[in-house]
Amino acid sequence: MIKFLSSIRLAIVLLILIIILSVIGTLIPQGEQPGFYQNYFPRWSGLILSLQLDHLFRSPLFLSVAFLFLLNILFCSLRQLPAKFKQLRGPIKFTPTGGQPVRDRKLASDLSDWLMVSPDSLLRALREKHYNVKIKEANGQKILIAQKDRSGLFGPEIVHLGLIIIIIGGLISALFSQRIELALTEGQTVDLPGQSFSLRLDQFTTDYYPDGSVKSWKSMVSILEKDQVKKQKTVEVNHPLKYDGLNFFQMSYGFDWDRTKVELEIKGGGSTARGLTLNVGEKFQLEPGLTLNLLDFIPDFELDEGSRPASRSAEANNPAALVEVTKDRRPVYLGWLFYYHPELNQVQREPDLELEISLKKFEAPLFSGLEAASDPGLNLVWLGCALLFLGLLACFYLNYRQIVIGLKPGEKPVFSAHSRHNQTTFYQELERLLEVRPDSAINSDRKNEGKTK
Amino acid sequence: MNEFPLLLISFIIYILVMLSGFASSFGSKAKWSRISYSLAIAGFIVQSAGLLVRTIASGHAPFTNMYESINFLSWSCVLVIIIFQRKFRLEKAWPYLWLLIVALMALVSSPLLPKNVTPLVPALQSYWLWLHVSVTLLGEAFLAVAFVASILYLAAGRSSAGNSEAQKKQENYDLIAYRAVAAGFPLFTLGALVFGMIWASQAWGRYWSWDPKEVWSLITWLFYALYLHTRLVMGWKGKRSALIAIIGFLAALFTFFGVNYLLSGLHSYV
Ligand code: HEM
Repeated sequence: MIKFLSSIRLAIVLLILIIILSVIGTLIPQGEQPGFYQNYFPRWSGLILSLQLDHLFRSPLFLSVAFLFLLNILFCSLRQLPAKFKQLRGPIKFTPTGGQPVRDRKLASDLSDWLMVSPDSLLRALREKHYNVKIKEANGQKILIAQKDRSGLFGPEIVHLGLIIIIIGGLISALFSQRIELALTEGQTVDLPGQSFSLRLDQFTTDYYPDGSVKSWKSMVSILEKDQVKKQKTVEVNHPLKYDGLNFFQMSYGFDWDRTKVELEIKGGGSTARGLTLNVGEKFQLEPGLTLNLLDFIPDFELDEGSRPASRSAEANNPAALVEVTKDRRPVYLGWLFYYHPELNQVQREPDLELEISLKKFEAPLFSGLEAASDPGLNLVWLGCALLFLGLLACFYLNYRQIVIGLKPGEKPVFSAHSRHNQTTFYQELERLLEVRPDSAINSDRKNEGKTK
Repeated sequence: MNEFPLLLISFIIYILVMLSGFASSFGSKAKWSRISYSLAIAGFIVQSAGLLVRTIASGHAPFTNMYESINFLSWSCVLVIIIFQRKFRLEKAWPYLWLLIVALMALVSSPLLPKNVTPLVPALQSYWLWLHVSVTLLGEAFLAVAFVASILYLAAGRSSAGNSEAQKKQENYDLIAYRAVAAGFPLFTLGALVFGMIWASQAWGRYWSWDPKEVWSLITWLFYALYLHTRLVMGWKGKRSALIAIIGFLAALFTFFGVNYLLSGLHSYV
């Protein structure tokens, strides 16, 4: 089981599986209603809905593959570690694995001299090249272990550890992060659920470029604790406010149409034309016994499938107001008034009532759409990212190199040398160091497939 | 001042770089190689000037629409090719890599891509735009070099059987591809994934939303993880490695172009 979980073959199968699932997840639109899939993918909708591919990245299928991948990385790295530490310690016997007796006479005698008589010059040469050098001595044997860029050996483990931490952080985010959407008009204060403080929007402004497109939205907000201002900041896109584990983001803006102020022009009924400004839901007495009632306002009027008035969007594309007039509590006038199309005003009224009403102006308060988010997985993810990147640098730019020379009196010295990358350049370096071509003297090429030779 | 004439000049120089590069495999090798390399440096300087002019004129990072981004990608590729030539010798791969540059510059100068400067929407006004996009495109430039080298590897495969000279050349393509991935993968990881997540968490309040562009970057990245592991642990060199590097770069291209035009999502700026 452990063997299966730590096998690289499983890793490759899982990588391919995750790639395939991810592609599917971008081809099938995510998060639509079941009816959508039945309409657009009639053949596949059964499969899509039963495997929950409509929210693929949260589906049990994807999560179990991801979980298996997590275990895979974990076990694989754990299994690699003991061997790596062993390599770091270096061989304890004078014959290192993969080491070869030195055939070249001159190199052999040089090495013997260096190690047995005067190791200083060799040590100095190695240390000058930033090798870490150890000499072990036991029963008359001498072993010299020189290593360079030792953290390069652990590059892959650091990368994998980073990934593990990112995945765990991601799981924590998915399970425990919270988001609260807030729509605030200027001056409004909201309490934040579960928090001891509240947020007040002091001012909301929009800046435009000369061509009319939006340059920035700025929400000046205050954090209040027991009516005391604790913090003030301008929240903008890309500039969130952090307070007490919560982050506040500028997400959107819009008009609070439920609080629209409407100006009506009223003609007839004996008097001259006059203007009247009302809030939605407000009543006004035109004359004794005659009451005007502003029932509703819709920014983008349309009739929905059931022929009921509805708003197509939150933009003021086709504003309309619903007005009722009652005479002694009896409705005498009722209808929708259109801002852009007064000719379409649909009004039912008593035939003898001489009343002309039209929609002249409307003004809704602007709200700022803020989002408060807390995400306990965030710091883990950043930690994982840092490890991931540092590990990658270690993998590709720290080239672990090891030179082992073993010596036993009366025998030929044994020599091994290898590097994780760039065997050729490493040999050139050795050549300068030992003044002999090591690859002609020895043959110590470790199995080093996939590496630059 | 307008950068476009400068870019056109560099385009023409790059065509000459490619032609003299091909000439070096026929005529006197050393002479043509030297000419080709000097021209490459000259073209790079002109294009860099173009980049600078565009940045000053627009007042923002020179990669906020398709025209600017492809130009920046091609500039990065030129930089990478020059670095590789100095460090490792590209030999036969040199002129073919310039074929890629010429293709990119043809796109840059084509009238299909609008070249006007547009002001930045609020989400793009961040220094993370600089970090995220420039590092990602630089990483992709390395991956592009791996892509061309891998195609050359596959193309050389047919003729090299039994010919040790040709085989050596072919192995050089494999090595170039590996070295390019070894440099491109960390950069792509940093730019596309890490910086992307940091920026997303600042701008949108969530570092990962499974938006199509994000998912396709992840897919690209996973392909190169596959490339490294199959090579390292299963010893896949050569043909199968080359295929993965090619598909990986096609995924990167799809992230760059396809997602914008075919799939919709949050990343709909460029
Ligand atoms: C997307 C996920 C992964 C990434 C980005 C990743 C990254 C890396 C990198 C960059 C290397 C070094 C490659 C080189 O030096 O050429 C590496 C090595 C390695 N990886 Fe992964 N890895 C991932 C998943 C896995 C998994 C799931 C396993 C488990 C089976 C695994 C097993 C290994 C092994 C055995 C090595 C070689 C270690 C060594 O040379 O000492 N990797 N990985």
